[in-house]
Amino acid sequence: MIAERIGRVVLDALRDSVGFFALLRQAAGRLAALAHWPVRQVFYKQIYFTGIEALGAVSIIAILAGIAITTQIVSLAGADKTLVSRIMLWTIVRELGPLLAAIVVIARSSSATASELAGMSIRGELDSLRRLGIAPLDYLVVPRVAGITVAIMAVTIYFQFIAVVSGFAFTSLVYQSPFLTPLADVVSILSLHEVSISLLKGLVFGLVISGISCLFGIRVPRSITAVPRAATSAVMRNLIAIFFLDGLISYVAFF
Amino acid sequence: MLLRLDQIARGSLEPVSLSLAAGETVKVIAESRDMADELIGIISGQFLPTAGRLELFGEDAASLSEAARLGLHTRIGFVPENGGLISNLKAWENLILPATFHLDATTDELEGKVSALARRLGIPADALAAMLGKLPDRLTMAERRQVALMRAALMKPSLFIYDFLHTGLDRAAGEAMLKAAAEASETAQGTVYLCPDDAVSARITADRTVRLGAEGS
Repeated sequence: MIAERIGRVVLDALRDSVGFFALLRQAAGRLAALAHWPVRQVFYKQIYFTGIEALGAVSIIAILAGIAITTQIVSLAGADKTLVSRIMLWTIVRELGPLLAAIVVIARSSSATASELAGMSIRGELDSLRRLGIAPLDYLVVPRVAGITVAIMAVTIYFQFIAVVSGFAFTSLVYQSPFLTPLADVVSILSLHEVSISLLKGLVFGLVISGISCLFGIRVPRSITAVPRAATSAVMRNLIAIFFLDGLISYVAFF
Repeated sequence: MLLRLDQIARGSLEPVSLSLAAGETVKVIAESRDMADELIGIISGQFLPTAGRLELFGEDAASLSEAARLGLHTRIGFVPENGGLISNLKAWENLILPATFHLDATTDELEGKVSALARRLGIPADALAAMLGKLPDRLTMAERRQVALMRAALMKPSLFIYDFLHTGLDRAAGEAMLKAAAEASETAQGTVYLCPDDAVSARITADRTVRLGAEGS
């Protein structure tokens, strides 16, 4: 019984992985579809929805996260400003920034994308596109993968900036300590390696979140009850995937 | 030959043969909606027939790649019974979607063409303006089919395929729809009317009539 359940989970995961990589490979091969104006419209709309519209929520979470993290670091590391700056860097830029930005995007965009595509599939709109001579991959998947990936990379950088600045602003108020000095330390400690890894995480998370959301949306069976299942499945798979990949990338990059 | 079905069958669709040469109009009477769905699904590539052979513009459909098949679809003006519109696009965006995708047409170019086309098809300017800003779920069935018809006509297809064009509409709206379709088809090489077996369908002028559900020819 347990073995059967485990086996089913493993087989489902394998099937999802094969489908995910196949979809991403096909989408990568069809990036030229962005040359069509209607596809670019979907791309721009996706960046707006995933990136611009998320900035409010991202700002609030980044400010609160920055305050909480920096407060803890200062209370532990005390007057050692270099140590405070390093720990700030490690926690926000290397780990929490990309992770929390991805979680916000998953909460906002993953379920929306999966349920939107699932609804379109069930209503026969993918067939409608084919009747118009338009490949659903070109019009629906490519711009969403590209748009979500670009948006997550930008949101990650934005999150890290707001979190670091707000954290130090808070502690400088509370502890009556200089604001610009520790901030300047962070900037001097920040290496190209850290920035690159942060961007790499944003890129990978973007591809994974968009790919999984699109996959679960378009391969939904023709049943209205499949729509919410597609949405929740996409969100859960995305959460598991990004935590796994975050650990993997961090291990490879920083050990 | 624009379209050829050679003993095509699937599900409730009994083997049927049909051919459409340039300059012809064929009326296909379907005894049930299921049969019509099977036929439209086979022609549009949604699924394969379980028997028989389909040729589109002289090409064996079964041997075509996805890209080649989609390329041929740009030469076919499908007008589905439910309109076949994309739900998250307004009527105007739906209308210009294939033209902006395939022909790189700009909205400025298309505005004039759409107005002229609507006049030609007998759609009043105020009705046109009222419908174009709405999402498909806010349109009436007649409006959805009008948008689908104009969307197809903008592409200047070689072949029009109308699917149950007048069903579910009142008599006046149904007649207006058929009149608009006939006008749009003037510029095409061939036309297929897929119809239910009713009195309105009997009045559609065609070179040949094929019946689904009986011995097709």
